[in-house]
Amino acid sequence: MSKLQTLALKYGAITAINLQNQLAYVWDAFHRAFFIVVVMFIFAQLWTAVFQAQGVTVINGLTLANTIWYFLIAEMIEMGKFRHDLTISEEVKDGSIAYTLVRPYNYLAYHFFNGLGETAVKMIVLFVTGSLVCYYYAGPPTAQLVHLPAVLLALILAILLDFCFLSMIGLLAFVTEDTGSFRLIYQKLIFILGGLLIPIDFLPDWLQTIARALPFAAITYTPAKLFVAFSWTEFGQLLTGQLVWLALAGGLLYAQYRWAVRRLVVNGG
Amino acid sequence: MKNELIFLRELIKLNLASAMEYRASFISQIVGMFINNGIYFIFWFIFFDKFGSVRGYEIGDIYLLFGIVALGYGLAYMFAANTGPNLAYLIAQGRLDYYLVLPRRLLPHVIFSRMSVSTIGDVTFGLMAYLFTGRFHPIDITLFLITAVLAALVLVGFSIINGSLAFFLGNAQQLSQQANGAIVTFALYPHTLFTGWARLFLFTLIPAGFVGGVPVEVVNGRDPILLLGLVLVVIAIWSLATAVFYFGLRRYESGSAINVNV
Repeated sequence: MSKLQTLALKYGAITAINLQNQLAYVWDAFHRAFFIVVVMFIFAQLWTAVFQAQGVTVINGLTLANTIWYFLIAEMIEMGKFRHDLTISEEVKDGSIAYTLVRPYNYLAYHFFNGLGETAVKMIVLFVTGSLVCYYYAGPPTAQLVHLPAVLLALILAILLDFCFLSMIGLLAFVTEDTGSFRLIYQKLIFILGGLLIPIDFLPDWLQTIARALPFAAITYTPAKLFVAFSWTEFGQLLTGQLVWLALAGGLLYAQYRWAVRRLVVNGG
Repeated sequence: MKNELIFLRELIKLNLASAMEYRASFISQIVGMFINNGIYFIFWFIFFDKFGSVRGYEIGDIYLLFGIVALGYGLAYMFAANTGPNLAYLIAQGRLDYYLVLPRRLLPHVIFSRMSVSTIGDVTFGLMAYLFTGRFHPIDITLFLITAVLAALVLVGFSIINGSLAFFLGNAQQLSQQANGAIVTFALYPHTLFTGWARLFLFTLIPAGFVGGVPVEVVNGRDPILLLGLVLVVIAIWSLATAVFYFGLRRYESGSAINVNV
């Protein structure tokens, strides 16, 4: 068995175990997804009122139906992603990271593949639940089946990029006791500059330029926009943006992780 | 009655002192909540800058809405954080025992025994949001403060009701959390967006209209009749909350657990 196969088996098993755990409580996940119904209902009302007030069918390239489905994908990503940064910072603070680091897997890869199982269930549940509201107010999505693999790729890259940023925030526990404020600021940057509360296309030009140049849009806006208004040209541009940010964030995370491991001091036995 | 008020004042002082013991966490929670609210403020600023107005609401109304809801929410949970999911937890875990054996009125003692530190950020934010409205006439300021207090009372009353559901349902923490999340989320949007059954829903089952929409109308229109109506609604919600709590209490089963409250 090649080394790659062994790795695939090992991390695949981690994802599968977490997936099983999540599936055991899938009805709990549906109960938790109630909030997306509230949010999507409000967004549907708000944006219907906006389109009516403006007396137009398209705003900056998005129809009302596009806008409503856009928010479902954006909210699904935000509510469905895993928040392992809390686990990392707790492990750093209580010292248990010393035990987890010596286990026969890469510490960060473990967190990613473990979270993947959780996020898959959460996102599917959120999408299914929220779709009912979207379908009622906006009809079926306009996304074509042929484009879905490309959208899925953008979604996976978005999850990976978010993982890098949250890992960096979690590892900050090596230098600061409370990483909660960093997570809060990161989350709020995604709200505006990531296009969670308002699509980036609707921002004023100067802010659009800033938002498109920053990594937050690559996490929420990119998959959501590609889902509702796919074009191969935009896919190429947005995917390039995701890959560039992923390389930068991945490199930074690697450096920070190496530094953190060196700083780790284990006392006693 | 005077004794009760003195007791509650001491309880709140104790909660505050205990929260301030961890100074860094105390400040970071307040600042965090301030940033949290601020981002929604920025969203509405961008929104109205692009779209002008929506269903009769303009940016000034949003400043007022945020001012009232944030101040109301802050006041509610700064003093009475042992409501909603926390109350549901106490009931489900049989932790009311601690309060039952003490010679104080049960409901106020329970709900005022916990303080949510981050809500100080909401209070500050609410007051700052009001400054953006530019309404500095004493009548407007008075109405703003009164309606914010009434909004706080609606929120606490509602949280007592949904927390007390644990008497009947057992584990009602999640339900209570969702109900509290829903009322605040709905309250922060212009109530004119919602029509038909949704509007009915927001003035009955999830009374968000009395937390945001109606208070804004009271201040905007300097409407004494509407203000009186809001006071009556608060009385009705609190009567219902008290009735549900004490009715549910008959079904309460002791946890027989040894608890140490610190």
